[in-house]
Amino acid sequence: MSAISSLVPARFLTIIAHLVIVITIFWSRENNVKASLPLEFTQEQYDSEDQKLVVALAVTLGLFAIELSGFFSGVSMFNCSQGLLSLAVHCGASVSLSFFVFEMWECWTYWVIFAVCSVLPAVVEIILFVGVFGLKKKPL
Amino acid sequence: MAIKHGARFFFSAGNQPILSSTPLQLLFYLNIWYFAAFYLAEILMFIYKGIILPYPPDNLILDVVLLVILLALETLRIFYGWKGNLCERSLALCASLFMLFPCAALAVYYLLLQTFVLRLEFILSAILLCFYGLELLLGLISLSAFSRSKVY
Repeated sequence: MSAISSLVPARFLTIIAHLVIVITIFWSRENNVKASLPLEFTQEQYDSEDQKLVVALAVTLGLFAIELSGFFSGVSMFNCSQGLLSLAVHCGASVSLSFFVFEMWECWTYWVIFAVCSVLPAVVEIILFVGVFGLKKKPL
Repeated sequence: MAIKHGARFFFSAGNQPILSSTPLQLLFYLNIWYFAAFYLAEILMFIYKGIILPYPPDNLILDVVLLVILLALETLRIFYGWKGNLCERSLALCASLFMLFPCAALAVYYLLLQTFVLRLEFILSAILLCFYGLELLLGLISLSAFSRSKVY
């Protein structure tokens, strides 16, 4: 029981940390977009690259909604496997997105972080949703 | 006769529905952890701003004192809310809801009105205000549930 009482707030705080950094990237994405373009670029190139990054960030927020709804509804709150997976990948996302912001990484690196650190826990969350609501399993 | 009365009292007590709100308790629990992280981040950001930025000393002292006041108010508010929800006491939950407004005012201060507002502070204060909004809503629902019940 002590593991559960530690894992639930730790998972919540890492999800919030990842969410905070994603919102920060929304605000300061100009440098990352410019890092993806050559020194001489047109406005159309900038807008195209910027739109790709905004789409990626928006989809990330959608996946956050899926995972937080699973967490708050109790479907995966006390599931140790999903808790540990979520804790690990959101810690990794927080650290790597911090580098993304400070080191001004190119935009294609965001898709790698997105695929590993946002899609994976959301897919497991959807599987747990199907298991609990569809197959009537106990949510543990 | 005594056994009959005892049995009736026991079954009558056992038949009372539980009125405590589980979502509200969940919010209080996560709010404790979130506020601890928020406070730590604010302390580190004030150290950063005090060193890097040309912070006037009077403004810095004011902001830090308000941070200490926020800690005291938040601790009392969560304690009264926690106790009121679990013990189904309307008065303690009322106290918690009334203390929500100075806490929200201080969160709005850190969101908009302090001398230097970092983006990180803006986002963290906005999330804290979301917590307050949800707790206000669920607190009012729980308060009406407690007041409606006929207990003893």
